[in-house]
Amino acid sequence: MTLAANSRTSFPTAAAQRRPSRRLRRAASASTFGISLATLAALIALWFLAAQFGWASPLFLPSPADVLTQFSAVAADGYANGTLLDHTLASLGRIAAALGVGIFVGIPLGLLMGLNRWVKGIFSVPIDLYWGLPPLAYLPLLIIWLGIGETSKIVLLSLSTFAPICFAAQAGVRSVPAERINAALSLGASRLQLFASIILPSALPEILTGLKIAIGAGLSTLVAAELIAAQSGLGYMIMSAANFLATDVVFVGLIVIAVLAFAFTSGMRWLEHRLIPWKGKL
Amino acid sequence: MLRIRDASVTFPASDGQDVHALDHVSLDIPPDSIVVAVGASGCGKSTLLNAIAGFLPLTEGTITLDGREIVAPGGDRGVVFQKDTLLPWANVLDNVALGLKYRGVSRGERYERSRHLLELVGLADFAEKPPYELSGGMRQRVGIARALATDPKILLMDEPFGALDSLTRETMQQLLASVWARTGKQILFITHSIEEALTLGTTIVVMSPRPGRIVARFDADFVRDFAEAGDIGTIQSHPRFIELRQEIRSLIHQPEGARKGTLQ
Repeated sequence: MTLAANSRTSFPTAAAQRRPSRRLRRAASASTFGISLATLAALIALWFLAAQFGWASPLFLPSPADVLTQFSAVAADGYANGTLLDHTLASLGRIAAALGVGIFVGIPLGLLMGLNRWVKGIFSVPIDLYWGLPPLAYLPLLIIWLGIGETSKIVLLSLSTFAPICFAAQAGVRSVPAERINAALSLGASRLQLFASIILPSALPEILTGLKIAIGAGLSTLVAAELIAAQSGLGYMIMSAANFLATDVVFVGLIVIAVLAFAFTSGMRWLEHRLIPWKGKL
Repeated sequence: MLRIRDASVTFPASDGQDVHALDHVSLDIPPDSIVVAVGASGCGKSTLLNAIAGFLPLTEGTITLDGREIVAPGGDRGVVFQKDTLLPWANVLDNVALGLKYRGVSRGERYERSRHLLELVGLADFAEKPPYELSGGMRQRVGIARALATDPKILLMDEPFGALDSLTRETMQQLLASVWARTGKQILFITHSIEEALTLGTTIVVMSPRPGRIVARFDADFVRDFAEAGDIGTIQSHPRFIELRQEIRSLIHQPEGARKGTLQ
């Protein structure tokens, strides 16, 4: 009797306990797209109002309309030796070159460092040493060595994208579960097959995470380097505009950089979705 | 025939007191037999399996498979792990075919053989699924199919059903018994469940910890009945089953001092 009564009363309790967890799950899985869009709209509306009612001088906060006008002017006629497209392409070219170096040197070297004690021993100290330095601290040295041209900037950016990718590849190799390796060996895998079919795919999630960090590091180093020493690029455009207190052009530059950063992040998310849909499962 | 002679494995410990995980163990695993090693944790049963698989070098002694000494992992010994080790980026069929791919078997042939094995373990309809969409029991069945695909001489199973719920576990035991009856593979099976050992083993070796050694061995025949008739309840209530279970249990639960006394 008591047993039956207990089991009956336990039913609603169980249901009540399940309800909040289901709500939590929905919150985690449901898209936040609408909310984010509303926030963006509110921020832009606030900007409109601030400019409209003169809460800040146009010198500090140009109106959205001014920025839009300036955007098309810079896009068509250019600013500081080039159109908006010229500056954007200059910046993108630099970061693409740096990411290329990071990927084609960083991934193989990182994998080797994860696999071989000697390679790790030789390379980890110099990489650790320079990675601790802020890139802008050794930019002057690179300019003395390599000149003011493109080379010094691409080397600087390559150094800042290389380390996170290299570290990630190394960590990826080390994160392969020992049992997965043993399983492959007992299925008769050769060393090369073990690397190609087990170690490389197992390391891929870490490598993509490293690539995301490298893009972030590269982008911030890029703009900073262009602020200091460049004749083209978004950073250079912003700095030139700031020298003439052309705040609306500064805004144009910042918006383009924000859009680029957002595009990179979305691209990486798409790549992860395509390449490693199994991440975190099993 | 797998032959283990005087196998010892010693691990150096931080306090200088070496751990004798395996202490002069000798054991034969003849063809067409299921040898089950049973014992409390730390008795060296997994160490024994890892040494046979080639994952772990012996400190002393030899292990030979058909006369050839074992020095490294190889495709002649299929291993089924406690935790499944399927590749998440490959579907079930490609996971089963992995060993055949390593061997350079053509695509058509390896898929044909893998599909046949998936049928054997009852997963023919799941060939295209990624492993993480399968239940734990199903994944372990894929693991068994994968280990069988390369037609190894011996199957080494390290507590393969230990992480499964008891109902799934019985289904899996049934499946293993029928696979064994059909393929006649020699199998080394590690477990800490005395019932599982008696249900599946043609030979049951009882191991004890510190140092890890074999303290007793029994021959049993329940697995043949199990593979044919298949009612686990009838088998496990057989008087001989109950008698052996009691005997093994008392061997495992004996205090260490008393057990050493009886051995000497």
